[in-house]
Amino acid sequence: MNIEHFLTNANPGWMKNEDGSDIVISTRIRLARNIAGTRFPNSFTEEEAQGIEDQVMNALFSIEQNPYHFSYFPIKDMPQLQRQILVEKHLISPNLAKRKKIGSVFITEDEAFSIMVNEEDHIRIQCLACGMHIEDAFEKARKIDRYLSRHITYAYQERYGYLTSCPTNVGTGLRASVMLHLPALTVTKQMNALIQMMTRLGMVVRGIYGEGSENLGSVYQISNQITLGKSELDILQELRDVVEQVIRKEKSARKALLIRAPSTLEDRLSRSLGTLKYAKILTSEEAASCLSNVRLGVSLGLLEPISQSRLNECMLLIQPGFIQQYVGTTLQPAERDMYRAKLLQDKLSEQDESVNNGEKGEDSI
Amino acid sequence: MICGHCKQRPANVTVTQVQNDQKVERYYCEICAAQFHPFQFEVSEEPVSIQQFISNWMNFLPASTTKEIKQATEKKTTNCPTCGLTYRQFLKQGKFGCENCYETFNAQLPQLLERIQAGTKHVGFKEQTISIEKIKHQIETLREQLQQAIVAEYFEDAAKIRDEIRLLESKVYSGGEGQL
Repeated sequence: MNIEHFLTNANPGWMKNEDGSDIVISTRIRLARNIAGTRFPNSFTEEEAQGIEDQVMNALFSIEQNPYHFSYFPIKDMPQLQRQILVEKHLISPNLAKRKKIGSVFITEDEAFSIMVNEEDHIRIQCLACGMHIEDAFEKARKIDRYLSRHITYAYQERYGYLTSCPTNVGTGLRASVMLHLPALTVTKQMNALIQMMTRLGMVVRGIYGEGSENLGSVYQISNQITLGKSELDILQELRDVVEQVIRKEKSARKALLIRAPSTLEDRLSRSLGTLKYAKILTSEEAASCLSNVRLGVSLGLLEPISQSRLNECMLLIQPGFIQQYVGTTLQPAERDMYRAKLLQDKLSEQDESVNNGEKGEDSI
Repeated sequence: MICGHCKQRPANVTVTQVQNDQKVERYYCEICAAQFHPFQFEVSEEPVSIQQFISNWMNFLPASTTKEIKQATEKKTTNCPTCGLTYRQFLKQGKFGCENCYETFNAQLPQLLERIQAGTKHVGFKEQTISIEKIKHQIETLREQLQQAIVAEYFEDAAKIRDEIRLLESKVYSGGEGQL
């Protein structure tokens, strides 16, 4: 699989299984691991880095019974724009994208799995899944972890578990995140209080487009803070409990909005669809907020049906890297805003197969 | 004044950022300023890193303990034998340099982990590394015995030992590549 496959496809395999949940967008599991006997990436030499890469490559490529088909990409060979797109797709971290020499990534064709090598830790296994599939995604990530452990000896201690560069990951090395669309809680200004509550429960809340973008498109990522002193299953269960509670709150906030101001709400959501369909210049902020409104409108049954996967694809496409990839050249921000509008219109006017079956969001109230 | 980013056009936009409680003012021209919105992907410019945030957070100690740690670290600045890291460097960057740091700074660790984690002991899935190491060692010993048995022409014993080695090897590699 060459890199173009991963750069042009805004609708990777893992995003295709819809499960009717229109509040939970996706689940992500990350396992941090290091190889015993080699220093961590922040203090190792280039030779040691190469040694780590060779070990991971041998484990992933040389053995016949490996059930996964990974493609391998060293970061140093990638132009800036390609790195940016992989960050926008959450396949690599911004941290890895900045590297000049060291670091690489292994990705499966459907992009459900990616393994970053020599990022902050030697190995970071990631599993992405559509909708709320915390335990399932964890099992899949753990399978790869078990597979690697047969060929690689991890840095592990009875007392502290999996040893990681940053002590915020030590123990299980597990970070589980769920991405949620919470427009009603955002518009009714309940998010700040909720974020505080979740922080007290040991969760971290962030915007999807990285730090400092908390409100963009009303999409939030909730993940566990604690990795040591709790078992994997407890960590996942606690995250699930918090997420389910937030979903309940979002649902009741939606209901309340519908009762209190139905026509204002319908007007606002319809206007957003109009903007997406007819605007000629769209900043990423405006596009994100209109997409959020349209997603809400579709799920409340106030707007014409658009599939979740189509909306997810649009959310990826509005990012600067994708637009420039689509146009095939680097663009000034003002030019991007014009192409963004065009790209969204093309996407939204395409035939939507899953909707033609007469399906609608099951979560509509 | 000229723009702090392109260093060409006159600066007429003031951007005020608060980083670690310190106000930082930057001056840009309109064109460069327009590029600094939340979606902008600036690889060259380091954002307020979560690492820094975490390390500030880990550094946050009641005054008395800070003193104690200072005294403790000043008395004997232990370097990690493998990567050379000192505890002070660790507090600054928030990251360990190698797995042995966990041994080197074992004395300071519980206090640190209590603040940022739910406990100081791993209770999750257990890695089998230790037993694999043991099995590999066992295989080595058996190989030596096998050699001795062959030299001494105790072929029955040798066959038994060989089977035993095969069994252990299959445990380590779970039926994969059949050689060490």
